[in-house]
Amino acid sequence: MSETQLRTPFPQRAHAALGDAHLQEALTIATTKFIGLRKESFAGYPAGEALRDRARAIKEATLQRLDQHLERLADNIERLGGHVHWAATGDEARDIILRLCRDRGVRMAVKSKSMATEEIDLNEALEAAGVKPVETDLGEYIIQLAHEKPSHIIAPAIHKTKGQVADLFSKELGGRFEADPEVLTAVARKELRQKFLEADMGITGANFAVAETGTIVLVTNEGNGRMVTSLPRIHVAVMGMEKVIPTMTDLMIFLSILARSATGQKLSSYTTLVRGPRQPGEVEGPEELHLILMDNGRMRQVAGTLREALYCLRCGACLNVCPVYRQIGGHAYGYTYPGPIGILLTAMLEGTGAVKDLAHASSLCGACKDVCPVRIDIPRMLVELREQVDREKIAPWGERMLFGLARRAMASSALFRLGARLGRLAQRPFVRNGRLQGLPFFFGQWTRTRDLPPVAARTFSERWKDLERP
Amino acid sequence: MTTRAEFLSGLRREMAKTRGLFEARTAERPPDADLVFETVKRQMAERWPQALERFQAEFERVAGVFHRVARLEDVPDVVRAIAREKQASRVLSWHPDALGLDLRQSLGGEGLSVTLAPDDDPDGEARRVHREAAAEAEIGVTGTDWALAETGTLILVSGRGRPRSTSLLPTTHVAVFDRHQLLESLEQVGSMLEALHADPARRMSGAVINFITGPSRTADIELTLTRGVHGPKDVHAIFVEGR
Repeated sequence: MSETQLRTPFPQRAHAALGDAHLQEALTIATTKFIGLRKESFAGYPAGEALRDRARAIKEATLQRLDQHLERLADNIERLGGHVHWAATGDEARDIILRLCRDRGVRMAVKSKSMATEEIDLNEALEAAGVKPVETDLGEYIIQLAHEKPSHIIAPAIHKTKGQVADLFSKELGGRFEADPEVLTAVARKELRQKFLEADMGITGANFAVAETGTIVLVTNEGNGRMVTSLPRIHVAVMGMEKVIPTMTDLMIFLSILARSATGQKLSSYTTLVRGPRQPGEVEGPEELHLILMDNGRMRQVAGTLREALYCLRCGACLNVCPVYRQIGGHAYGYTYPGPIGILLTAMLEGTGAVKDLAHASSLCGACKDVCPVRIDIPRMLVELREQVDREKIAPWGERMLFGLARRAMASSALFRLGARLGRLAQRPFVRNGRLQGLPFFFGQWTRTRDLPPVAARTFSERWKDLERP
Repeated sequence: MTTRAEFLSGLRREMAKTRGLFEARTAERPPDADLVFETVKRQMAERWPQALERFQAEFERVAGVFHRVARLEDVPDVVRAIAREKQASRVLSWHPDALGLDLRQSLGGEGLSVTLAPDDDPDGEARRVHREAAAEAEIGVTGTDWALAETGTLILVSGRGRPRSTSLLPTTHVAVFDRHQLLESLEQVGSMLEALHADPARRMSGAVINFITGPSRTADIELTLTRGVHGPKDVHAIFVEGR
């Protein structure tokens, strides 16, 4: 997303998305499909519900001893010949990678899909330093060629048609390619295979890291995660510090629900457990392995209101079911992480100020909580964020003034009665079909996308008095 | 640059501020990994026929092609048939010690070029040569460390003579297994992995364990399922009865 787009206020971005008929259609098809696949998968897996509870408990228990697990992970990775870096900020994580590139003469880096590297805008930094970053997940590759940002955590290019992809490939790769997913996938295979073999560095995220064994775990369907960790001479994994889990036994519990939640698969095509760089006797594998453990705003939430968001597995299930996401798509959110969990993660990484509008981009219906594999209470935290936005006085002044007035009126019965009487008179021109619509001035902000029930002709307390007299 | 000590002390400061946490526990680990290892082995010695049935069903559900042969010596015939069907001539194989049979001997003389993975400590030149052969190969033949019935998954541990890319770079992957590798559940896999890491005698030599569940796939263009985007387009599993 370009700077100008980011500076566009959220309501405008959302409005533009709502007007994009093609986007609307793509979103409906994709999210409906994912919802169905997930539902079907869990329906045939009675053990799933109990496993979700266990997975949630493991995340919480791990957080309660996070320091110990991180130490253990780092010790084990170093014992196996890997290097561990500690990054307090995204800038620092980027600098570590850039320094590695410089010191080791890296000219091209192949990447497998990673939200953590999106989060720190790594590609831009690499390009500026003269290193060519190549996204290798097909969806990410399309997005990179188009100079866009992913619109869905697990399906980054769902907003593009095959026709658009064919045009893009034809233009960028030279040739004339048919608008057929099979053909286009083969084109990408050939193009990217060469890149895997030529690249000096492979960059990945990490779905999990097992402390007890020093294992970095990558889950992919395409096999690009395997390529990136096998062929280049250096492997760098960037990981949020909350992704550590204690043991292999724990890992199995997460694996049994992760793919089911994301795509409805029992397991993704590839789950890759990487334990150190190439070991003696191996004919392939990187000479060097680096793990970057990143804070970047996560640490202060260990005791913060967003603690539970640190459980997130990045499966994308909450996006698909969210009535807001389904209407506006990922780009309108304006930050790396879209959807309900994305609002929380944005607040975590960028601060509350970044979500003063986004905190309200939810109907609080709770669908996200229902499908979350680790049952993160997203609606509760969204309400808490709204409260914070209010407390920190970063909401628009009109809104704050109105809610201030409402608070005062509701705290005094005299004022409340007066307000009801005034409201009944003032609302007359705006009541249509029994609803309050199209209010003037800044009230219009509210009624532009919603309506309200009008103040009743007789209030409850007035009617109550009548009822008390038999 | 943030040091480990700074990072962790910052984290501990935050952890000290938490209040009113509910009690939560991680998954119970097998108390004695060796014991569990033996127990699982014993269970599967009896239950493998059901596990095999389930494996076949799940493996086929994820577009795998299942074969069953009587003896290990029959495996080359299956590979030959696959090569003919794919019009492929370049075969890459795990080292005979890791696979249990020497494909170069059985297939080499028939217009198929077979590259075997080295099992000594390969130097830079040996690695380069192998990589070039791997990049060119059309069929990759591997053994299997575990075949997971619940999900139709082949689990392969890399190491000496067992390169990780044999199951990745060629467009067709052929994995050979027998009843001793069958497991029922992810939970059992967890126990086996605990044992693998706990016991120095069983310690894996290589760096990577891959869980392979069907061919490489993507649905990134209009959610149309397409196979073979980076890894193999076809995955075959050959079950050897008598071993």
